[in-house]
Amino acid sequence: MARIILQNDNINFSTDKQSITNGFISDRDLLKKRSKKYLDLIAGLDAKTLTETKGMDELIKAIQEEFGTAELSNLPLGILSKCFLGHPYEVHTLDLSGSQIIKHYKITETMEAEFEKARSVAKHNAYAMVEIYKDKIILIREDGTATKL
Amino acid sequence: MSQQVISYADLSIINSALRSISSDMKGVHSELGTLNFKQDQLESELVKLADSFADFVEADIKHKSLQLAETRQGNLKQDLQIKFGYYAEVRRMATGILQGVDTGVIGEDTLRFTTEEVMIKAPGYWLAPALVSLTAWIRNDKSTTEKALNEALKRDDYKTTLFFMMVMRRLTRNDASLKWLERYFMHQNPHNLDREFIIILEAVTTGVFPPAARQLMMVNVKNWLDQLTQGDQFINEQKSQWVNFFVALGPLSEGKYPLLEKFSSNWNSLENSLKEAKTHDILNTHFKNIISSSADFSKGIKVQLDEILSLLVTNFDDEELPLQEQVRLNQLIIQMDGDKNAAQSLMDAEKHIFDEKVDFLQLLTNASFNPELSGATKVTQALAVSISQPWILEAYDTFTAQSRNNIPQYIELSIDDFKASTKDGSEENELLKEQESYYDKILETELGKISFPYAAVIIGILICFLGLWAFSLHVIVGILGCGIGGVIIWNSVSTYKKAKNRVIENVEERKQKAKEVLRGCIAETVDYRIEHTSEDNKAEQVRDLISSITPEDFSSVSHETARSII
Repeated sequence: MARIILQNDNINFSTDKQSITNGFISDRDLLKKRSKKYLDLIAGLDAKTLTETKGMDELIKAIQEEFGTAELSNLPLGILSKCFLGHPYEVHTLDLSGSQIIKHYKITETMEAEFEKARSVAKHNAYAMVEIYKDKIILIREDGTATKL
Repeated sequence: MSQQVISYADLSIINSALRSISSDMKGVHSELGTLNFKQDQLESELVKLADSFADFVEADIKHKSLQLAETRQGNLKQDLQIKFGYYAEVRRMATGILQGVDTGVIGEDTLRFTTEEVMIKAPGYWLAPALVSLTAWIRNDKSTTEKALNEALKRDDYKTTLFFMMVMRRLTRNDASLKWLERYFMHQNPHNLDREFIIILEAVTTGVFPPAARQLMMVNVKNWLDQLTQGDQFINEQKSQWVNFFVALGPLSEGKYPLLEKFSSNWNSLENSLKEAKTHDILNTHFKNIISSSADFSKGIKVQLDEILSLLVTNFDDEELPLQEQVRLNQLIIQMDGDKNAAQSLMDAEKHIFDEKVDFLQLLTNASFNPELSGATKVTQALAVSISQPWILEAYDTFTAQSRNNIPQYIELSIDDFKASTKDGSEENELLKEQESYYDKILETELGKISFPYAAVIIGILICFLGLWAFSLHVIVGILGCGIGGVIIWNSVSTYKKAKNRVIENVEERKQKAKEVLRGCIAETVDYRIEHTSEDNKAEQVRDLISSITPEDFSSVSHETARSII
């Protein structure tokens, strides 16, 4: 009854469909869960005295560790999050592009265009912070999961 | 000579004629005034009429397309019946034969005769030779069995393989059935699966097959997933489909905020944002429905096998797909009350269901979107959702983030050309004050437009002076002059005052109305924000719900755990 049946269809194990990911960060890496340490560091920005250079170095190091790269082009331009300094401060930014400074913005103040577009989501309670990239923004929840927008 | 004649001519006739013309003109002017007024009235009536006409046309178009869709659906179904109706008969016969053989009431001759007749009547259809082969096997006719089987495999390899896999299982020839299954898997390429694969998934999910088959299946599925989820491409494709699906599920508008709808200049984005927020609740029930549906284990294995068999054979064959697609579109138009665009967008989201060859991830997505259309049951839908859970969650996060990013920060109001924007309606007092000063300004400019009638007053005064001077000539002429002058002055001043009062009244009335509207708008803004926030918060519940789905939940729901397999 059971016969061996000739395989009349070509099995198409195509490999060309896979995108080349060399030298390029794939979404899998980009959207990996952020570590607790990284989240705590960013969340602690309000409390820390901002002028401490040593603290700043540590922070940058931790961020580089998180993203597994020291290359500036693969790091976010900056990180935007809710500010808990209280009224009238609304959000603060951590600029990673060069100046590496923390700045707190009041409700009425406008930020640079790249940051401004993420302001409304950054204020939303569901997200702990927003990473700003050149071509995208990534929202990070309290538990570290990331969403690309 | 001629100049002299003219200089002495009596021009009084012409003068009087001119005077009468000018008085006629006055009449014409007043007529024109009333005409203008009437025309304005007519125009506003006409605008009203045009509005209601446009509404009517829209409703009529919807109504007509609804009717058209209903007729078309009927016609298409008839078409299907005419063209492929015979297939349905053959399909019914398949389960009929199996059940007939079970009870042993059908003679071998009948079986042979009917299946051979089918073979003649349905040329090119794979199921016909498969049935001939089956009946030949039942009566131990080896050569016919093999010939017919060969023919069936030639016509449709996959389906025949599947069919015999099921039949062998039904006749509890487990080893043979496993062999068929193994062979089937060797054929499959996760990048390019047949639509029928969903039936295997179905059978394995519901535990119809022996454990060995299930293990085989799960190993394969895991490999495929690893293979497909390496790159971004496949996952991103599914993600964007899910996002579209979420968007398409959005509710229709309710007209809950009539004032904002009328007076807010960014109402469209406000409405869309609210719709997106309301989608969360719909998704909540949608996913709850999926995961709470469980298989009905009260049925015997045979009944279930028969069902799957009939699923396999009734799930339209590829040549029927174009017609089925059109039937579906018309169904959706009817479902959306004649709104063609809404139906089309739903159809676009479902479109991939009708693709003939799909990759494994796409197959899962199809089964999750609409199990009936992709040929699966609710249990498979649940399994598909649970396997796709990681990227459903990602897609849902993206959808939520998008909708949150699109929440309008300000509600722009435009009432009687007074522009204001409010965040959450908390600035009521400030806005009312602003509106007050806006109307003060309007009053100022409107009053500025009515100038004091200096000319008429001066003329009146001059006539008065002339009258005073005329006293020296004659007393009565003097009194007359003074009287006329006085009347002119009094008249012009009183009309000026009346006009002023009218303007003040007018602006006051506008102000009162606008104030009410502004208050109403602010009240609606507060309600809108409250509703929006509460709907938006439901996103977190849905997220928890989706996160809680795991594949293990569903692959374990089967006959093995519910009861032992025969």
